[in-house]
Amino acid sequence: MRFCMIAILLLISSLFTESFSQSRFKDVTVETGIKHVFKVYEGMFGGGACVIDYNNDGFEDIYITGGMNDDVLYKNNGNSTFTNVFDLSGVTLTKKYVTQGVAGADVNRDGFVDLFVTTITRRDKKQVIPRGINLLFLNNGNGTFRDATKEYGLDRLLSFSTGGSFGDFNADGWPDLYVGNYFNEYEGKLSVINDATVVGANQIAKGNLLINERGKKFRDVYADYGLDYRGFGFGGVFTDFDNDGDQDLFVNHDFGYKRTPDLLLENHFPKKAFTDIGKQTGMDLRINSMGTAVGDYNNDGLMDYYMTNIRFNYFMVNQGAGKPFVNKAKELGLGFFAISWGANFGDLDHDGDVDLFVANGDLNPSCVAMADFYFENLGNKFEDKARISGLADYGIGRGSVLFDYDNDGDLDLLVVNQEPVLDYPVPSFTRLYRNDSTHGNWIKIALKGIQAESHGIGSKIELEVGGKKMIREIDGGGSSHISQNSVIAHFGLGNAAKIDRITVHWTGGNKQTITGVPINQLLTVIEIHVKKTNRFFIYLIIPVICIALALIYFKKKTLNSKKLIIP
Amino acid sequence: MIRVRAYIKFFISCLIIVGLALSCTQQSKTLPQDFEIATAWADMANSITKTTPANSPTFASRCFGYIGLTMYESVVNSSGEHQSVSAALNGLGNLPLPENGMEYNWQLALNAGQAEILRNIYLQTGDKNKRKIDSLENHFETLFKKKHTDNSVSARSILYGKKIALAIFEWSKSDGGHRGYLQNFDKKLVFAEKPGCWRPPLYAQSFSHFPLHPHWGGNRTFVTVNSLIPDPVYIPFDTLPGSPYFNQFLMVYEKRKSLTQDEKQAAIWWSDDPEETSTPPGHSYYLATLAIRKTRPDLVKCAETYARVGMAVADAFRNCWKWKYQFFSERPNTYITQHIDEEWESFWPDPPFPSFPSGHAIQAAAAAYVLTDLYGDNFSFIDSAHVGRKKDEIRNADFKARHFNSFLEVAEETANSRFYGGIHTPQDNAMGLEKGKIIATNINGLKWK
Repeated sequence: MRFCMIAILLLISSLFTESFSQSRFKDVTVETGIKHVFKVYEGMFGGGACVIDYNNDGFEDIYITGGMNDDVLYKNNGNSTFTNVFDLSGVTLTKKYVTQGVAGADVNRDGFVDLFVTTITRRDKKQVIPRGINLLFLNNGNGTFRDATKEYGLDRLLSFSTGGSFGDFNADGWPDLYVGNYFNEYEGKLSVINDATVVGANQIAKGNLLINERGKKFRDVYADYGLDYRGFGFGGVFTDFDNDGDQDLFVNHDFGYKRTPDLLLENHFPKKAFTDIGKQTGMDLRINSMGTAVGDYNNDGLMDYYMTNIRFNYFMVNQGAGKPFVNKAKELGLGFFAISWGANFGDLDHDGDVDLFVANGDLNPSCVAMADFYFENLGNKFEDKARISGLADYGIGRGSVLFDYDNDGDLDLLVVNQEPVLDYPVPSFTRLYRNDSTHGNWIKIALKGIQAESHGIGSKIELEVGGKKMIREIDGGGSSHISQNSVIAHFGLGNAAKIDRITVHWTGGNKQTITGVPINQLLTVIEIHVKKTNRFFIYLIIPVICIALALIYFKKKTLNSKKLIIP
Repeated sequence: MIRVRAYIKFFISCLIIVGLALSCTQQSKTLPQDFEIATAWADMANSITKTTPANSPTFASRCFGYIGLTMYESVVNSSGEHQSVSAALNGLGNLPLPENGMEYNWQLALNAGQAEILRNIYLQTGDKNKRKIDSLENHFETLFKKKHTDNSVSARSILYGKKIALAIFEWSKSDGGHRGYLQNFDKKLVFAEKPGCWRPPLYAQSFSHFPLHPHWGGNRTFVTVNSLIPDPVYIPFDTLPGSPYFNQFLMVYEKRKSLTQDEKQAAIWWSDDPEETSTPPGHSYYLATLAIRKTRPDLVKCAETYARVGMAVADAFRNCWKWKYQFFSERPNTYITQHIDEEWESFWPDPPFPSFPSGHAIQAAAAAYVLTDLYGDNFSFIDSAHVGRKKDEIRNADFKARHFNSFLEVAEETANSRFYGGIHTPQDNAMGLEKGKIIATNINGLKWK
């Protein structure tokens, strides 16, 4: 009751503030032509959005899942409007499924970003046990996609999948996938149903670690990499938390306090193994872990992680190698409660540190209205400025993404909202906000991987300006909540007039440095091809030497033992 | 030296062989005692309850009712003292009688009946569990068949046990709970919206945002009078500090701050989470087993114990669910965070259904008053139901065996444990205990003898 009153009061006051002062973000949903709402399946989960420049025209487009509604593919017209090209783009197969999350990467390295859409069940027919395959769409390069699910060996995984994320955990340049599943995979035929299969259907699930075999196929290597965890999965995010140059994986699990907690899977590349170090690092959160925002809030060169939850979110601040993470949510002014899903770090005011947006929304069907959060980074503290920024929307928030849709150099925001099943006090639909709040300078950096993933997914950019060092990882999806931000890294630069140095740490180990970079531009960094012959030579020579040494050793030994026998 | 070792080895081997041979002959000579057969089947019922996915305390309670009743009815005619209660139950009517003047082996009848009812009532259980049932059935069948040179006695007894089980199973189909696991949550349910009403939990045991078995209260009771018990009285909603309603929640709030280690252990001990245990009704069924193992009564009294406990907890849950949805009352996690402390969280997560009255309390009282009637008020025992379970690390509490001096002490602690867990107010528990006693009295009042 009190909650409702507060909600109403806040609503009224927000109306007033909006009419009296210029808000820092402008809701441009209607004027840009976006008309979307996610419709839930039986009160369950979803949905997400993926930023993708599918036609390589330099204007980022956006794919949003619809759940029980059709998905949308919004083509950015380049004039601050979008057109839904879903019906003509070859992805209409999604209409047969209840879609959840979406991620994009150039799976076959043809220069065009492909799409991976997770689903929980069929929409075109009633299934007693909800399960569905996930869908892979290859970009034809002419503005359309084609279904490649079967071709890539993904047509037999009957799963209840929430979110997928691309990464390159074996650093071969081919984007791999992690898929979070909520309920156990269904191994039989879904048409063979009895009471036993029905009651067995809501068990915790393994994730899928799908290795990309040179752009031809995906193969599940979850067990091969030593993983056997089951949980109520909401996906994961590839990130190099320990700065050792390979991509580790943080996995979000719902109901961690009852079942499997969150996992922090350390990548032992080049060994083909992940191990869970959640416990040692304090990242085994026992919460309803819905999503993760990745960002270095204090510019100390270490990635920090904000996990959304029911009631209190966790802000796990990286303390450096070998030390456990510390939850500083309360201490840093982030201790508000809500039911949170999407979360994004980005320098939304261009002052040289990342701010945090959080999408909130109750659980359908019985919903209390709750506003989204926008936490401005004040250096040593955050402050919720959602209301004066025009971001305190009371819609039923889920996934959220940051991208610069109008190419004006600052990050804009899209928040996916669910349709309320029952009566709801305010409208709830997906919203796009234009950022009008920035004052400082900026730079956007797009990566073009030659040996690394073609858009730099999994690579890290380090930027030095005026004694400050900032880092960004290229988002491969599964971040926020079952969504994917722009793959173009964005930095706010404050008053700086020049960037001292930009260093790109490509997955695979290549490192590239550029100095004296001009500001307020989109910089494209192309990976410099490093010949691997030297390394190959080393790889070749080491075993040869080893074998030679071993031979000498054994020969000596056999000689010795012979000597022993003779007397 | 080597020789001595060899002799020792030989000697030890001989001892082992002789020992084995002795134990084998012993096994084939002495048959299991009555209480051993009855409790073996109760253990099986508990194990199936625990390991069948998507189980719930509501559905489990109902199953224990039919499983216990089947045990009793399959052997009641062996006794000159006891009598069938079937005609007094809600629409069951008379069950098949044994053939006049013919010999029966009642252990075999019980064995066949238990296997049959378990297979049917737990239709949804996995193949592994079904094999476990078959294997226990075969085990006892093989042992007792050997006793009779005349095969027809065994065949007749087995057939009779099955007939009783099937008749009871047929009756069970019309009670409203048959295959109830397929409708655990009604996704079309429209919630009441009024001050003090239940809200889907945020710190939850289940991923469902819908409440469990909202229509369970319309199910048939085993005993008709149990459906006629007057409604409990609920303290009216109030937000005013100092009001009786406010104070109910304030007590929960204060208790959370002062929980002792023993109270924490009690809270996790009695939680009996359906995903990991045989649910609260299973815990009560297990208490019946403890009473039987301690006193080793004859076959019919064993069966009577399970029948009474099973039907009492089933009727308790049915009535409890009727009232839960009638009052549709909020949990402390809803009220306290709105009116006392926004950041408060219960010690134990919320189950997915309304609060008043407490299901734990009502079924614990129902079982306790049945067991007290059968075994007396002064009955001490050790409850080891959860011994061996891994420590609850989140709550920093171990599963340690608990000692009791009476069954009523158990009921009291079960009810209090929900208060310690922060998921029930004192009135939920008090009313649960009160109504549970009435339900048990009605079961005890059937003409068992």
